[in-house]
Amino acid sequence: MAVSLLPGDVVPDLALPDHAGNARRLSELVAGDPTVLHFYRGWWCPKEQRYFRGLVALQDEMEVAYTRIVSVSVDPPEVEAAFRAGIGARWTFLSDADRVEQARLGLRETTDTLNDPYVPRVLVLRPDLTIHAAYDGYWFSGRATLEELRHDLRAISREVRPDWSAPTG
Amino acid sequence: MSAFERTWLALLAEPPDGADATAEVREPGGAPAGWLAAWRRRSKPVREALRVDPRAVDPDGPAGWISLVLPPRELAIAFDDAAVQHARRLALADPRPPALRSTLLRDDSHFAGAITAVHGDEARTRLLDDPFGRVHPARVLRVGPGLLGTMAAPAGPVIERYGSANPWPWDAYGD
Repeated sequence: MAVSLLPGDVVPDLALPDHAGNARRLSELVAGDPTVLHFYRGWWCPKEQRYFRGLVALQDEMEVAYTRIVSVSVDPPEVEAAFRAGIGARWTFLSDADRVEQARLGLRETTDTLNDPYVPRVLVLRPDLTIHAAYDGYWFSGRATLEELRHDLRAISREVRPDWSAPTG
Repeated sequence: MSAFERTWLALLAEPPDGADATAEVREPGGAPAGWLAAWRRRSKPVREALRVDPRAVDPDGPAGWISLVLPPRELAIAFDDAAVQHARRLALADPRPPALRSTLLRDDSHFAGAITAVHGDEARTRLLDDPFGRVHPARVLRVGPGLLGTMAAPAGPVIERYGSANPWPWDAYGD
């Protein structure tokens, strides 16, 4: 039975190779920061290409905000590496080419029997891998907008950073 | 490593006494180029020592090649300088991360250099486009066994330091 991925649930600590083929764990990539965990169909999907353009724009803020993105697909590492380089992403991609975590999470898109991809899903995580917000992106307009991600990341940061209120004197 | 310990790295003419790791360094043509030494301690062990990510040092590590960027002390480059920021972006964008990469710090606010390494006899040509070599010219050197660690590539996209006294990437909040 697939795990529940609703707000308040804890995401399993995924163990997958990254785009360079290195073994990684989700908890190691999150490492104390609010994180956007992003499941996508694959490089070939026009909706994903459009959504990635937004995330690439957002990374210019996230790189100085102590927040992270992790993208997961069934594409092999070398395909992810080429796609990542092509779009200019500077975060880690995880490859679930064997679809092991996809089955555990219950995120197979059953209407695409050709590619058997992940269903588009965005989970905004607290550092302990608890889900703060979940967005079902099967319809493009269901995906988290950049503004929603900013709000979610701010809410988590406010909650977990002990010095959120700036020390002043 | 205790919270009070720091990891220090220095390129010296002779192997120092009391270092926690040392390795002989040679130029690509084989000429001696000194000794790379590392210490894990709170206080600075020698004048030349710079702070490095702790994962960059492993006394049991293999031989390898490094790209070493060491701007002279009088060249005060701010860690927040746009050139250093962009070198960090380029490092994150690398589709084939090296075995280790760390910036080097002398104090909280200045970029004192960077070390990037590949292990074994892997082609050193991988090091010829070191992003930090665009900030100050890099030296590519052969390092013997006994010092070079291995660290996972930074998760990205964060280019900021986790604590201004820590070298980038460090890559974990609150450690």
